[in-house]
Amino acid sequence: MAVEKYLKPEVINQIKRLDLRAQFVVKGFLHGLHASPFHGFSVEFSEHRKYNAGDDLKDIDWQVYAKTDKYYVKKFESETNITGYLVMDLSESMAYTYKQTLTKFDYAICLAAALAYLMVNQQDPVGLVTFNTKIRQSLPPRSRRTHLGNILSLLSNLKPDGDTDFKHSMEQLASMLRNRSLIMVFSDFLVDEESTMDALYRLRHSGHDLILFHVLDEAEVSFPFNGICKMRDPETDEELKIDANGFRKEYVKQIEDFREGMARKCRESGIDYIPLDTSMQFDKALMEYLLSRRARG
Amino acid sequence: MAWTNLAILGVGGLLVSIPVLLHLLMQPKPQILDFPALRFLKERNVVNQTRMRFRHLLLLLLRCLLIALVALALAGPMVASADFGNWVTMGGIGFLGLILAVVFLANWFSSNRNSLLLGIVGAILALVMCFGAWSAYQLFSTEGGGAILGDSGAPVAAIIVMDSSPTMEYQLQNQARFEEAKETADWLINQLPSDSQVCVAATDNDIPFFSVDVSAAKRRVETLEVSYNADSIGNTLAKAIPLLEKNPLERKEVYVVTDLTRKGWATDTQEPALTRLSKDESVSIFVIDVGVADPSNFSLGRIELSDSRITSNGELTIRSSVARLGEAAQRTIRLKIEKQDLTRPVVRDGKSLLPESFWEQTTLVDIRQDSTTEFSFKFSDNLATGTYHGVVEVVGADGLAVDDQKYFSFEVSQPWQTLVVHPSDVNPQFLLSCISPSSAALNGQAAFVCKVIEQHELKSIDNLKDFQAVFLLDPKPLQPAQWESLAQFADNGGGVGIFLGHNASSRGVADTSFKSESAQKVLGGELTFPYRRPDGDLFLSPQNLDHSIFTILRKIKEDVPWNRFPVYLHWGLEPATGDENFPTQTVLQFGNLNPAILERKIGNGLSMVMTTPITDPARPKGRSTWNDLTLVDPPPWVAYYLTSQIANHLVQADANFLNLQVGQIGSFRNDLKYFPETYQVFSPDLDKPPANVTTVKRAISYRFVNRPGHYRFRGAFDGPILRGFSANLAPQATDLTRVQPEDIDRVLGAGRYQLATDKDVIERQQGTARRGQEFYPLIMMLMFVALALEYLVSNLFYRS
Repeated sequence: MAVEKYLKPEVINQIKRLDLRAQFVVKGFLHGLHASPFHGFSVEFSEHRKYNAGDDLKDIDWQVYAKTDKYYVKKFESETNITGYLVMDLSESMAYTYKQTLTKFDYAICLAAALAYLMVNQQDPVGLVTFNTKIRQSLPPRSRRTHLGNILSLLSNLKPDGDTDFKHSMEQLASMLRNRSLIMVFSDFLVDEESTMDALYRLRHSGHDLILFHVLDEAEVSFPFNGICKMRDPETDEELKIDANGFRKEYVKQIEDFREGMARKCRESGIDYIPLDTSMQFDKALMEYLLSRRARG
Repeated sequence: MAWTNLAILGVGGLLVSIPVLLHLLMQPKPQILDFPALRFLKERNVVNQTRMRFRHLLLLLLRCLLIALVALALAGPMVASADFGNWVTMGGIGFLGLILAVVFLANWFSSNRNSLLLGIVGAILALVMCFGAWSAYQLFSTEGGGAILGDSGAPVAAIIVMDSSPTMEYQLQNQARFEEAKETADWLINQLPSDSQVCVAATDNDIPFFSVDVSAAKRRVETLEVSYNADSIGNTLAKAIPLLEKNPLERKEVYVVTDLTRKGWATDTQEPALTRLSKDESVSIFVIDVGVADPSNFSLGRIELSDSRITSNGELTIRSSVARLGEAAQRTIRLKIEKQDLTRPVVRDGKSLLPESFWEQTTLVDIRQDSTTEFSFKFSDNLATGTYHGVVEVVGADGLAVDDQKYFSFEVSQPWQTLVVHPSDVNPQFLLSCISPSSAALNGQAAFVCKVIEQHELKSIDNLKDFQAVFLLDPKPLQPAQWESLAQFADNGGGVGIFLGHNASSRGVADTSFKSESAQKVLGGELTFPYRRPDGDLFLSPQNLDHSIFTILRKIKEDVPWNRFPVYLHWGLEPATGDENFPTQTVLQFGNLNPAILERKIGNGLSMVMTTPITDPARPKGRSTWNDLTLVDPPPWVAYYLTSQIANHLVQADANFLNLQVGQIGSFRNDLKYFPETYQVFSPDLDKPPANVTTVKRAISYRFVNRPGHYRFRGAFDGPILRGFSANLAPQATDLTRVQPEDIDRVLGAGRYQLATDKDVIERQQGTARRGQEFYPLIMMLMFVALALEYLVSNLFYRS
């Protein structure tokens, strides 16, 4: 229980260092897995076994041999060849939080950091791409441990700002990628739905695997407002005076429709879609990633 | 509808504009919130804006309603009590309509508009609006005529009807109901606003009038007395209503202070004034009950004397009854007859002194609960001629004293001198046995002393003045001079009785002697011919029993066996008409409507003619009998009764002027040959000085018979002359039976009056009638509802 508490956003929010956040999230997640149907899944590197006659020689872990003078076979070494890209939405809408705890961007960064930590520990190369109206920054995928530091450093310095041009950014991303990759997009997708899906379809058709982490604020899902409110779009500064109570039911339904619509379209085109809000634990996202990875492994 | 403070309603109307201004100018600024998913809100914005405006409008309306209700409550609207239910219904319909309208509009503007609900609510709303419009029309079409409300201090035109009937003397806790009524009336007058005008109308037959001021009205109440000749409340009110209608004051009230006994509300016809009153709702009517719900009383019934005139040693039978209202009891009934005292009554020191010595008898009577017991006294003594007064009384006190005594008077006189004339073939015995039975004649108690002669002896009678009555039994033809003599005798005050039979016939028709002018004067018409009905199917058959000779028969009118006495022959007699000085009336008819007995007034006297005889035997020789009226079997009591009553009537002994009912005019013949011209009248009110009355047209009349008791007339004619009569209340005048509500409804109109028993109730009803029913509690309740709704709605809008 002590470790699993770090899966809770409100707990992880108390940890300021991103590397620690990522470490705690992953440890908490993995600790929980021991009691889960995923027990035995080779996510740790303790499952070397002694070489037996008949094993392929190229499976011998020579590094272990150099240290111990004994032959050990590293069974999964050859499977960790998925190249992942963490694609972060830098639009200003991602900076939104109603409860003044984790913003959508904080949540997405935390999740991305945890995933990066997990991937690097599994020897999977992982890169980072940020965008708003276009690709802003990118780190090429590497599997070295030092690369994790680079990723976390970059993530911790990111600030959401400005509008979003998702389609253009994804087009840019598609042109950057040479090999088949696992693209993990962190965004609130509060942009034109059709153009978003067009861009995603293009990436998918290019042979990439896609996991969409659709991060919304808790308030954007449950609409907890009351009475007469004036709502302002942080990206466009557009304002709207509404009666929140009269709106809630319809709004919640609209959001559900929106998410279900995206989920349906993603499912039809083989894209993994994970709806999240800032009140949800991180393990859901991580589990989705692992399921996706296993499906590809 | 009236208002306690109409000005506040105007101010309140202005105040209603405040929330409107606040709503327009000072709408609260909403909090500004960042919200990236704005595009989802924008998609539903139009509907939301409409709904928001509706809610704002609802809030505005609630706030306006709140202030309007405050202003309305302070303005104090009032309506007539009778209209209060209608107004509440209207309010309820309005409130229901408001709720339905809100539901309808809310559903109309809702995103999830439910057509079925909309239709149902819309239909109900339309129905409610129609019903509301109809109710409003009904209300406002009648409200103009409603009670005048508002300032309870405005002067009032009030009629106070005081029930002054004898039952108001009923004592409860040593206080007569009339005293209680006077106290109540006095209190009512004090309650009236200043400058009010009051008409105190008692049921004493006085003409009602508005007193000059309130003090005069109070003095009028103080001087009121119980009236023993009371009119009904309805008639009294009917006389006063025109005064009220003419009174210029707008507020009009009628108070009826009564013991609610039945006789006061008896009415045969509805007076037009009462009909107008029952329809005029601007007049408030209060019936104030000062009576007793369960009275206990003994009351004497009507006194019946065997004769109002007896001879000196004759016997008088006094019959009456005593009725009990309450539990069974035993009471002593006492008879007192004053002994003649020629020195009394007399006035000494301003007081009338009466005879003080009496003959007395008592009897003990058991009376069952709520029933009547009869009793009688027999009295005889060697009495001097003159008028005697007596009283029958219940010994011991009870609630109502006025009906515990009944008064009577009778005269003792010499027997009437009567001449009986008959032809030789006619037997006068039946007549004699009727008017002067041999046993009575022997001991001098017979009322009539008869001189019997045959018809041929009539010539020898020079002067008929010695007789009071002459009977001609089945007479033969008379000389015209004899007819004239009989007519003259009647004109001088005598009575002529003629029983026609076969002797009047000449060759099958009436003899010419009976057709002469002088004969017709006595007979009252022209004799024609005998009517024959040999089959025995013709009987005496009275059309009514109005004549005084039927006084006793009236009680048993259904049981008189007329058809046991057939009449086979009777004379036809055409009554004379057109002579107003000598009117002829048919007293009794046969079944074929021919007259059997006729009466003709002739001067101071009269004649009575029976067209069939009372002297015919059952089987006369050589002819048929005329009737079976006097056969021995069955006993001829019908003929006996008729004959004796005719005799009494001829000597005017049945003129019961001696025993009257209060309210009647006392009148008796006063022949100046025997009596003085003027008398002093001593009424039962001994505090009153005696009045003088003078003979007019040979008669004394006295109009002021207004209380029960003895009315004594004292004059001087060769010494003191005492005459008089008694007056009693009608038994129903002291009937304490309580009136039924339907009887009051018939007089005042159902639902038009308010019944009160004590002053608190009267005050409350007065207040309600003058000020009307206030809406204040209802408005306050609505105000709290509006306040709660406003709080809820505003909280719903502006909470953060």
